[in-house]
Amino acid sequence: MIKTRALGRRFGATVAVEDLSLNIKKGEVFGLLGPNGAGKTTTVRMLCGLISLSSGEAYIDGLDVKDPEQRLRIRGMIGLLPESPGLYESLSAYRNLDFYAKLYGCDPKCRKERIKELLQALELWDRRDQPVAGFSKGMKQKIAIARALVHEPKLLFLDEPTSGLDPSASVTVRNYLLDLKKEGRTIFLNTHNLDEAERLCDRIAVLNTRLLAMGRPNELAQDYFGRHLLVQVKEQETLDLSRFNDIPGLVKVTLGSEGLCFTLDDPQLRAPEVVRRLIREGAEVQQVYESRKSLEDVYLRIIGGEENASR
Amino acid sequence: MRRTRPDKVWTIALKEFSEFRRNRYIVYSLILMPLIMTTILPMVYLLPVASFASDPPDEPMDLGIETIEIVYGGTVQNGYYNRTLFIGVTLGNIVALSCRFVDCEMNYCLLRNSDISDSSLSECVVDRCNLDNVSRFNVSLKDSRVLGEPTEAESTLLLLLDAQMLFFTLIPTILPTIIASYTLVGEKLNRSLEPLLATPTSDLEILTGKVVSILLPSMLVTWICFVPFVIIVNLIAGPVLDYLPLPDLTWLVVVFLLGPLFCLVSILGNVIISSRVNDVRSAQQLGSLVVLPIVGFFAVALIGVISLTLPYLLAFALVMVCVDIILFYLATRIFGREEILVRWR
Repeated sequence: MIKTRALGRRFGATVAVEDLSLNIKKGEVFGLLGPNGAGKTTTVRMLCGLISLSSGEAYIDGLDVKDPEQRLRIRGMIGLLPESPGLYESLSAYRNLDFYAKLYGCDPKCRKERIKELLQALELWDRRDQPVAGFSKGMKQKIAIARALVHEPKLLFLDEPTSGLDPSASVTVRNYLLDLKKEGRTIFLNTHNLDEAERLCDRIAVLNTRLLAMGRPNELAQDYFGRHLLVQVKEQETLDLSRFNDIPGLVKVTLGSEGLCFTLDDPQLRAPEVVRRLIREGAEVQQVYESRKSLEDVYLRIIGGEENASR
Repeated sequence: MRRTRPDKVWTIALKEFSEFRRNRYIVYSLILMPLIMTTILPMVYLLPVASFASDPPDEPMDLGIETIEIVYGGTVQNGYYNRTLFIGVTLGNIVALSCRFVDCEMNYCLLRNSDISDSSLSECVVDRCNLDNVSRFNVSLKDSRVLGEPTEAESTLLLLLDAQMLFFTLIPTILPTIIASYTLVGEKLNRSLEPLLATPTSDLEILTGKVVSILLPSMLVTWICFVPFVIIVNLIAGPVLDYLPLPDLTWLVVVFLLGPLFCLVSILGNVIISSRVNDVRSAQQLGSLVVLPIVGFFAVALIGVISLTLPYLLAFALVMVCVDIILFYLATRIFGREEILVRWR
């Protein structure tokens, strides 16, 4: 659905995005993570055909974003939720959506149905005729999401969809995005919210002007932290760790505050052997579990590593 | 290249109209300012002058002149003349009493109780004479009757009427400043341009939609206000002038040709200004500078450097067409997606 090769954008002497290559499949939810000023919004704008590319190539469903005619077609098949809702405050929720539906060329009959369906799904149908100015931030964000979906786009670009929302509004928006995911829509998500990215995204990429990492969240955790089996035993300090070095698939074994940490090629496969060896060494095993690093840990490791490298 | 779609232009314009309707400041500006300029101000200016106007003399005074001598052609210098008919004579330094002058040229003369027609006077003193179709330069008139010329009140009314022409150029120039500041800077502040730019709508369609949405109400209000203005002016000035001064061709050119051209200059000027400012007030202050060249033209006309006649107005319209073309070119360059998202601050 989205294919980029060595995508780049400069603003004068400032490099906003450099050498970004992505390949996002239909129906995939792809998260782009990165600090402020990393080039996430610039990337979305380039992919939406809003700003030009300084270098590289980008295709949306086979259409070239560099071609002015094809750019217009791209804009017709995508939905964009920008960082700020950008609604017409004096107009009603219905009128806001109706205006965009007309610009997207939606059929008049379908238009009404679609707007009703969206406002009902986002629990705003009862307030459809009220001016948006009186809506809460969460409600405005929902209207902005409805606006991005009013023409049933194949591809959705969401820039910080839950930014600034209270927890309950965030949950409503997130659940709605999960519904969209189930519908099989391709979603490109720009976010700072790592928990959200972990819950929603099939794959994530970390960007800081250039691409730092990309993959499934659990794969990235493995890549950056390895796979660990944590074992809590009684009197663990008395164990001689060198006696475990011959366990198949073992990378290393350490003793930490959480217990014995076995770094293994496949913790699930090797767990029985580790437990057997511990018992044979006389250890009293209390708890065995695979350690999982959160996306936040992974993100901080990637960004931290990059910062260290740049120093 | 893709053709501009009128339905999209109209959709954008209709959305803008819906927003204007809900903006009290724009609604009041659209109603009150033209109303004051085209109904109240004409009354304030014209009524006092009209009420003090006296009927112009249409009959010469009976001076009881009986000429006994005739002078045809040639030049007459110095001397005193009584009951003489001069035809086609150039006179200088003479004193005349109870004479008739036809088709004469007079310099440094003292004329008393005489009939003067189809002649020219320069540096003369005229006492109790009838003047009919006489051009005058530095002439002192006393107890005389000037025929075939507007009275002072009529002249003042006509001058004030010319001055009011300025209002009909100011309305379509100022109204866009107010509307554009809200529609462009407002949209910028509200950050609603990005989702709009993400739709399959061309830059030209968006710009044209916005221009139409400002041009239509501004011109409609101007044209609607022209109707009560014509009625008021004719009611006040008609009896004094003995004819209905409006509408005449000059006014129609100003209201229906120059008006839309000024309006477009103002809109496009404001598009350019809006790209560089971040608040409505600054946009309005800078936008109002667009009025200056227009006021300048009329100021020059009112002090008599040029006349507000059809050829001058048509020439000015031609200049405005060129200015509009240049501004439209600049506006289309500034009102581009990339420009808006990257450079508009």
